[in-house]
Amino acid sequence: MRRPRLAEWQLALPLALAYAAFFLVPLVLLIAVSAFDDEKITIVGFAQWRKFLGDPFTWKVIVDTVKLGCFTVVATALVAYPIALVYLGAGPRWQRAILFVVILPLLTSVVVRTFAWIVILGREGVINQAVLWLGLAPAPLRLLQTEHGLVIALTQIEMPLLLLPLLSVMSRLDPSLRDASAGLGATRWRTLFRVTLPLSLPGLVAGCMLVFASSTTAFISQFVIGGNRLVYLPLLIWQQSLVVYNWPLAAAAALTLLVSVGLGVAAISALGRRSRAYAV
Amino acid sequence: MGTRANRQEKGEAMSERRFTRREFLAATAVTGTALAMARPVHARGSVTAAMYPGTWEEAFRAHVAPALKAAHSVDLEMTPLFAVDQIAKAQAARGAPPFDAFVLDPGPRVTGIERGLFEKFDAKRLTNLARLPSGATDEWGVTVAAQVVGIAYNPKKLPRPKGYKDLLQDPWVSRLGMTGFQTTYGTVSIIEIAKQFGGSETNVEPFFVEIRKVLSKVAAIGAPASMPALFQQGQCDVTYTNTQTVATLRGRGVDIEFVKPDSGAVAFFTTMHIAKGSRESENAYKYFDTVVSAPVQAALMQPPNNFIPVNREVKLAADLPMASLDEMAKFVHHDWAKINPLRAAWIERFNKEVAK
Repeated sequence: MRRPRLAEWQLALPLALAYAAFFLVPLVLLIAVSAFDDEKITIVGFAQWRKFLGDPFTWKVIVDTVKLGCFTVVATALVAYPIALVYLGAGPRWQRAILFVVILPLLTSVVVRTFAWIVILGREGVINQAVLWLGLAPAPLRLLQTEHGLVIALTQIEMPLLLLPLLSVMSRLDPSLRDASAGLGATRWRTLFRVTLPLSLPGLVAGCMLVFASSTTAFISQFVIGGNRLVYLPLLIWQQSLVVYNWPLAAAAALTLLVSVGLGVAAISALGRRSRAYAV
Repeated sequence: MGTRANRQEKGEAMSERRFTRREFLAATAVTGTALAMARPVHARGSVTAAMYPGTWEEAFRAHVAPALKAAHSVDLEMTPLFAVDQIAKAQAARGAPPFDAFVLDPGPRVTGIERGLFEKFDAKRLTNLARLPSGATDEWGVTVAAQVVGIAYNPKKLPRPKGYKDLLQDPWVSRLGMTGFQTTYGTVSIIEIAKQFGGSETNVEPFFVEIRKVLSKVAAIGAPASMPALFQQGQCDVTYTNTQTVATLRGRGVDIEFVKPDSGAVAFFTTMHIAKGSRESENAYKYFDTVVSAPVQAALMQPPNNFIPVNREVKLAADLPMASLDEMAKFVHHDWAKINPLRAAWIERFNKEVAK
């Protein structure tokens, strides 16, 4: 039974080859391109890396990008978790309805959803009209091209990425554990924090990692809603690769984004492991 | 290592059906062959053209494709790409272009020439050559449309601005929507603003000095693609843009007027080029000839396309800021061979100046 199963790894081979061809090879190419000094990719050197990482503005952009990911993760988790609890307590028919509503935004293009947010967040948009009508502010609020406006939009755009793994884990929780907790005298809040939350952590952590990776790299949403006033790494990559054709610098920026996102995802994963150990 | 039958006998099979090595190799071969054949197939009598997405693509599908088919029996296939994306793709393809014809603004055109991405162009092969203004063709390609850039504003919200200087003053500045140096119209407009404060085609420093003073008031500094939506949604009520965008927005019922600035409107030309290594250059010439022919140019000028034609036989629409193509010679023109080398530094500077 322990012998290597030939057929199984053969079946995984096409995917492995595709992964190697379409991810590993381009990644190696990206690293190679970043190790050139000039735009025409002829002189080997690390001048672009020195220029990129030696500029304090780059570090501000890196920090802003990671910060955007963190804010989006926190906002998405705070909104998504109550929805997941409602899902947990709902009957099968409502569960199907909630799942459908969660998946619904994925059926529209992210470009369409992003442009819809211009209509919602704009000066004459739905939110501002409501704020003015209710007399909550004397003038329209500035929501577009601000970090909080972008986080609001990204929270909705990225929501399915957090909810789907969370709901998948939640639906497999054994209801008798919560009943046992209640039977032993725990309040609903204590049951939530000592039973439900620790058991649903794997789903929450997986969702947070997806949201972090997706929101920090969401070029279209960042640029359309944030405009030029909010500069994140994907904008720098686009400018360098497609507007001024400085591919070595674009490659250095892309690798920096890859490392930043990788570290962020690893941090969320580590945080998840630690809090799980603490909770249990 | 046993055969499939052996393994099944030993109870190792997870499912009833497994692939044999032969089947696996056959499947791989089929997949490989399919991938190998999936390269762009240039059918007889076709040309693949890169095309700006949106208005341009829709207009070319409606008017150029049928005309090309009728006149030359050539099918037009379009790949929607912005100018900068065309250059990046052609450069990455290294001699095996993913399309036969480019459509470009002046900045990317100069980059394309510098990086050897175009075939040499023989203007004499265009039957419509005599109907084009002098200088509309050169050794690299043909001009197919003109663009005029100036100021657009909402007359119901703001008084009429006189020129670029007004954009940085009240009441306009607090309703101003801007874009950076990523686009041709953005770059030339910022140059024109800089000129009002003592700058020049190669010196935009005065712009940065002036914008720093009013940055907190500016209504929006957006992505180029989002500017029409920002204007339509009232996020900004004055911006710099081209006549085509103004006409398109007006067609959608937006309150918008075009202003020819007192320092002059900016004119530049959109050109087409044959991609280096294209195997359909014959059809590319037929395609270009169709695009600049009078009936097609007249159709492209009509709403909702709103192109500015380059064929002299086409009478210009009444709402354009000139009565004839010759008048455009008096408009402001820029030398992109000088601008391109400076653009990377300007973009970097713009990021740093406007980022919060």
